[in-house]
Amino acid sequence: MSKKLFQRDRMLWLWIPIFLIILLIVMSVSVSLGAASVDWKTVWKIVFSKIPYVGDWVTADWSDSAETIIWDIRFPRVVLGAIVGAALALAGAIYQGVLRNPLADPYILGVSSGASFGAALVIVFGWQLFGVGRFTLPAVAFIFGFTTLMIVYLLARVQNKVRLETIILAGVVVQAFIGACLSLILALSNEQLQTIIFWMMGSLSLTDWSYTAVVFPIVIVGAILSLFFIKDINMLGLGEEVAHHSGVSVQRTRFLLLILASVITGAAVSVSGAIGFVGLVVPHIIRLLFGSNYRMILPLSIIGGAIFLVGADAVARTILAPRELPLGIITAFLGAPFFGYLLRRAKREYF
Amino acid sequence: MLTVEKVSKEIDGKKIVNHVSFQIKQGECVGIIGPNGAGKSTIVSLISGLEKPTGGEISLSNRPISSWGVKKLAQQMAVLTQDGLNPYPISVFDAVLMGRYPHLSFFQREGKKDYDKVEEVLETVGLTDLKDQMLDTLSGGERQRVAIAKAMVQEPSLLILDEPTTFLDIGYQLNILSIVKDWQRKDDLTILMVLHDLNLAAQFCDRLILMDEGEIVKIGSSEEILQEDLLSKVYHTKPEIVRHPKWDIPQILLHYE
Repeated sequence: MSKKLFQRDRMLWLWIPIFLIILLIVMSVSVSLGAASVDWKTVWKIVFSKIPYVGDWVTADWSDSAETIIWDIRFPRVVLGAIVGAALALAGAIYQGVLRNPLADPYILGVSSGASFGAALVIVFGWQLFGVGRFTLPAVAFIFGFTTLMIVYLLARVQNKVRLETIILAGVVVQAFIGACLSLILALSNEQLQTIIFWMMGSLSLTDWSYTAVVFPIVIVGAILSLFFIKDINMLGLGEEVAHHSGVSVQRTRFLLLILASVITGAAVSVSGAIGFVGLVVPHIIRLLFGSNYRMILPLSIIGGAIFLVGADAVARTILAPRELPLGIITAFLGAPFFGYLLRRAKREYF
Repeated sequence: MLTVEKVSKEIDGKKIVNHVSFQIKQGECVGIIGPNGAGKSTIVSLISGLEKPTGGEISLSNRPISSWGVKKLAQQMAVLTQDGLNPYPISVFDAVLMGRYPHLSFFQREGKKDYDKVEEVLETVGLTDLKDQMLDTLSGGERQRVAIAKAMVQEPSLLILDEPTTFLDIGYQLNILSIVKDWQRKDDLTILMVLHDLNLAAQFCDRLILMDEGEIVKIGSSEEILQEDLLSKVYHTKPEIVRHPKWDIPQILLHYE
């Protein structure tokens, strides 16, 4: 482990397919798990039958109820899990690279506290925004999350410059304040208390394809944009001054990347709640295995995050079935020990 | 090539750099020397655009630095600082490759031309054997050579060095400076370096700028600058000036009283 196995980016084209295959396996296992068992062959037949043109070649030899369970209930959930996992891991990787801080995760600048506060307000007051209907909660959560980031950024801005230490401190301050607001709402609410707490712990239940349709474009555009920033993130890692001397507009690049990561985080959090640990641990695991070059870290974190969250969700659904556990508990249960194990094995500093 | 005109830098009412003017011609190697706190490193920050002067103007190729844009400037100017690159776990090859950044557009990835350039430069500075090593496993001297290689692939016409040899042993001090010198001869590179070591400054620079308390005391050849009275006034110590037995240039010896 002390010597990185694979460093050059040509190895990327070996590892991306491997990661994608693992993701497909985890997804199909997850879809076939549940109270009504459907074998994975049928699962994929149903999926293929939904693809235009390809579907004509598949003969339907399954029951309608199997199709409903797979396509309308389990599959949207697994796909959303993959998207949310990818989004959180990607955002975490960007935050860690830009803030040069190993403890950075998608929530460090308060995006999730803001979003949770917005969500709690919606749940308690039963708001309905005009024109967005049942998307009110994710929309409000997103707006609150993003506003929080802007407040943090403005607080940290001194003479047109934002220093790294200042922005992290500003994040802590704003989070503390919003945390207090949130606690106040929790204290004053009665029967909605459990709904809010469940939302905050993160869950992929109560999803259908419409949520995916909203989040997917944001995450995919964000992911593609972030890949163009790989050179810049790497450069920031060599030091702020070095980056400047090499032609990186440090302040502007940092701002754009934080906005990008926060939009991605906001999109994910708004539909699934603040699922912890994915954004912290997945980029670290990738870093420990493949080194600190963002040419490797970004793409592999995206797929790795998807694998991790789909797997965690499968565990959350089945381990105490029919009871479902909040996803955040499982991600921490799975992620923390594995991360600890990797940390022990890494003999030198790796960040 | 580089013109510094009446440049001042004030921080909280304190003048760090005061009315400094000098010019550097294409292909010249100029050294800035002076005691701690003389404003040497601030001059470097001002020229590299890291900080903005509170007065005066700096121009590169007759264009003010402030109008260049960070990326365009990096195509013309590379900077080597005393702590060089962070000991970041990234391979030597990848770190050097980053020097190509100013020549690539936002949407562009490094291509064969860039990889070839990196291989060539690694060969030149003798890093080929280390190219798959991680930066954090290298010694300070090796990491400084990586920083030079990175500056080389940047293909600048002006190289600025801010005490590049401070943390290095004598072997590496000479190694780093001779790499820079060879590069200068090959590409008609212009060099501005801040040096603490007056003997190395005398050996490697065509002209020296002696600074004290934010102002220029004197600009001239090593013969003109390495004078006993001048140095003892600025450094508050009395060095012995001797001749270098091989090159016949002034060198200093320190003696304890």
